[in-house]
Amino acid sequence: MSKVVFSSWAGKVIDNRGLHPNKYASVENMKLPLQYDGHQVRAFMSWNGLVVADDKVNIVDMAHSYLKEVQKLSCGECAVGYLGIKIMLDILAGIANGKGTEEDITLLHWLGAGIRENAKCDFCPSAITPILHTLNYYKEEYGKSIASRKGRAKSTYIARVTAPCMEACPAHQDIPGYIELVRNRRYKEALELIRKTNCFPQVTGRACVAFCEANCTRNDVDSPVAIRALKRFAAEYEMDSGSEPTFKKIKDGKPKIAVIGAGPAGLAASYNLALMGYKITIFDELSAAGGMALVGIPPYRLPRDILDREVDIIRRLGVEIKLNTKLGRDITLEQLSAEGFKAIFIATGAHLGREFNIENWKEGYAGLIDGVKFLCDVNLGKKIKAKDRVIIVGGGNVAIDCARTCLRIGFKDVTIVYRRSRVEMPGRKEEVEAAEEEGVKIHFLATPVKVLTDGDKVTGAECIKMELGRPDASGRRRPIPVKGSEFVLPTDMIISAIGEAPDLSFLSGSEPIRITEQGTIGVDPLSYQTSQAGVFSGGDCVTGPATLIEAIAAGNRAARSIDQYLTLGKIVQSEEETIESFTHDIGLSRQREGGITAKSPRQSPEQLLPPDRVLSFDEVERCLTTEAAAREAERCLRCYRLMLLAVASES
Amino acid sequence: MVKLTIDNRKVEAEEGSTILDAASQAGIYIPTLCYHESLSPGGSCRLCVVEITANGISDLTAACTYPVAEGLKVRTSSEKVVKARGLAMELLLAQRPHSSRLQQLAKELGIDKPSFTLKEQECILCGLCVRTCHEIVGVSAINFIAQGIDRGIDEPSIEVSSVKCIGCDSCAYICPTDAITVEDVADTRVVTMPDTKMEFKLKKCKTCGKYWAPEKQLDYIIEKVGLASDAFDNCPDCRD
Repeated sequence: MSKVVFSSWAGKVIDNRGLHPNKYASVENMKLPLQYDGHQVRAFMSWNGLVVADDKVNIVDMAHSYLKEVQKLSCGECAVGYLGIKIMLDILAGIANGKGTEEDITLLHWLGAGIRENAKCDFCPSAITPILHTLNYYKEEYGKSIASRKGRAKSTYIARVTAPCMEACPAHQDIPGYIELVRNRRYKEALELIRKTNCFPQVTGRACVAFCEANCTRNDVDSPVAIRALKRFAAEYEMDSGSEPTFKKIKDGKPKIAVIGAGPAGLAASYNLALMGYKITIFDELSAAGGMALVGIPPYRLPRDILDREVDIIRRLGVEIKLNTKLGRDITLEQLSAEGFKAIFIATGAHLGREFNIENWKEGYAGLIDGVKFLCDVNLGKKIKAKDRVIIVGGGNVAIDCARTCLRIGFKDVTIVYRRSRVEMPGRKEEVEAAEEEGVKIHFLATPVKVLTDGDKVTGAECIKMELGRPDASGRRRPIPVKGSEFVLPTDMIISAIGEAPDLSFLSGSEPIRITEQGTIGVDPLSYQTSQAGVFSGGDCVTGPATLIEAIAAGNRAARSIDQYLTLGKIVQSEEETIESFTHDIGLSRQREGGITAKSPRQSPEQLLPPDRVLSFDEVERCLTTEAAAREAERCLRCYRLMLLAVASES
Repeated sequence: MVKLTIDNRKVEAEEGSTILDAASQAGIYIPTLCYHESLSPGGSCRLCVVEITANGISDLTAACTYPVAEGLKVRTSSEKVVKARGLAMELLLAQRPHSSRLQQLAKELGIDKPSFTLKEQECILCGLCVRTCHEIVGVSAINFIAQGIDRGIDEPSIEVSSVKCIGCDSCAYICPTDAITVEDVADTRVVTMPDTKMEFKLKKCKTCGKYWAPEKQLDYIIEKVGLASDAFDNCPDCRD
């Protein structure tokens, strides 16, 4: 919606009051949707101002309602914030009910300015902005309320919270919420809150890429809040205190659903559906549950017992996991339908290494192996005999994991060969650093072109130097071979970790399931339904290799879709998705209230020393201490923002 | 050492110390309420607000939490500071007009009576009891109720866990507004907090028969320090 009666959004005032709608100036920098979850949006109020679409909205009442929601979020740890808001609320209630005086307006201005200047954190000052806008731009409304001596028609409101960290998280976890709970040492409640959108607090508390931290407002001050470590702390507290979670399940007796793949996406979907009362059976090809979390993340980053515990929690919800059962080999989709499964969720991941096209690779020499296969073998307990030297080809996380795993198996000389330079490396920076600390060498700007052998033994890789040309489709500079720059890297083994893709060989081709050009399963982006009704899909087999949290988010969403499909017969946009597109449209940026924020060092968990790390697969990173967790939670700037929408008028 | 300016005076302070530390060392007075030298700063009463200038930006901040920095300019009583501090004081006084500590502070700041009225509450959420219980006693029985959008809690408040509380009296000692009171009646200690009343059985001295401390507190000390289980059979007066 660009044509509105009034807007003070983002510092730009558009005032069309008193004009004919044809003459309305439009708001350029904001897209206020006309509809929200089936309601007509009449006005909107948030950290950046006030937007009014319907001039019959009672602005005074809206300001009062907004501040009431602010009070529910204010921490109470600063007198100016919580007492100031308390008094402003009293005054606004008085005015809205026709009991106000002119002097009240002066008090509101004074209190509002005081909160903006002297509150402890970012939240209350940001929340005062739209209230001050109503006072400045809707003076007559306040005047009318004061003069009328009686209450006026009110609207109904929808209040929502968002924050840069929540926005960045694919699962939109209530991060400020659980940080606040950890701050107040309410660890059990923190974990309960985390589990609402994330069935793997311990797993993600260790192995999540933490998009939230990359978008944390504290990046603009010093360094981001250690959100992942705080999540782990809350989760570890439960385990250390020997307690187990309890869940409120909606009544059982709903239809059977089959889930293919016991990885993060499949387990997340199963967890949500089981809580809704569905009977879930998961089928997985491997001999243990966990999918890529099991075979893709080495134990030094995610210990097995930790993963197993969280899988067991899901099992205890009544989810049955049938292992060693491969779709297409042991079961088929038709069979599952015939057995009475009313919906199927395919989450088979991306476990197939991309083809490595270099000379002699396909000759079947011992010592040539694909990265995902290598990690899978090691992580499932297969004994691999260490040799002296190994080369790992690739620059992603799989390459790094292979390299660090090789060191732990006993390889003496571990070299990653990557065709671009350090900046283009897709592997996580902290993982790359950890690998180098442990002794992994990285040979940048080179790629193997030929496997060198002596009899049936691999002896080396003939490589060629690369230089960087123009950016390619990925936005990274394209590597170009330098003619005549061939050189030999002697080695006993070569691991190819140049990318993964889904293995969709289980599809016979007769199903109406669409496969994309990228070789992934095609789904409706909103519902995750495939082109076959009742068959849904999500996670790496839909996106290609992605992250743990994206898979969990896909599982969460697919669960909602499957429930809607089975109960409503159609799939509608959930409220969460509505908010997502809404906050995106109004442009929530990583914003901080002005002024000066003191720096405060990020608390880092203890780590094993590099020489000790490579001796075993023991976990490298420890949990934050209680004191460090409290200090870290204190670092949150509370830049979460409240949004209030006035929808239908109250009858 | 870090060099900074407070009210146009050049001051040196230890790295890692706060503006409040630096000011008090230099003999410059800044009013405080929720600050105590034995506790971590809370920054909650907002009375120690000062104006700082760094990199050309001016801002108000709490002196008790802001760390000193090289070249920082601090003004402890600029017009902006006096105004902000006055409002904070009025708010606190409006919440708890009958506290002698608050009345005294208000008088010091030239405030007679707040410009607004609130339903009186004994607790002003300064957080001193929360920090004392956690940092000094080590029990963490008192905490802020964490707020949140779906938590169904309308107003912030402080909550005490009767399971964790050992009845030690430290919170009542530190409370500036008498919101927490402790009374020993015969063999029972009664701890009264806003919305909560707790009773603790007192230990009887084996020698003089006096009830002298909560059993729960003594048990806590015995366990924490690793004393013999009969270590507190006698009151301090009757111990050798």
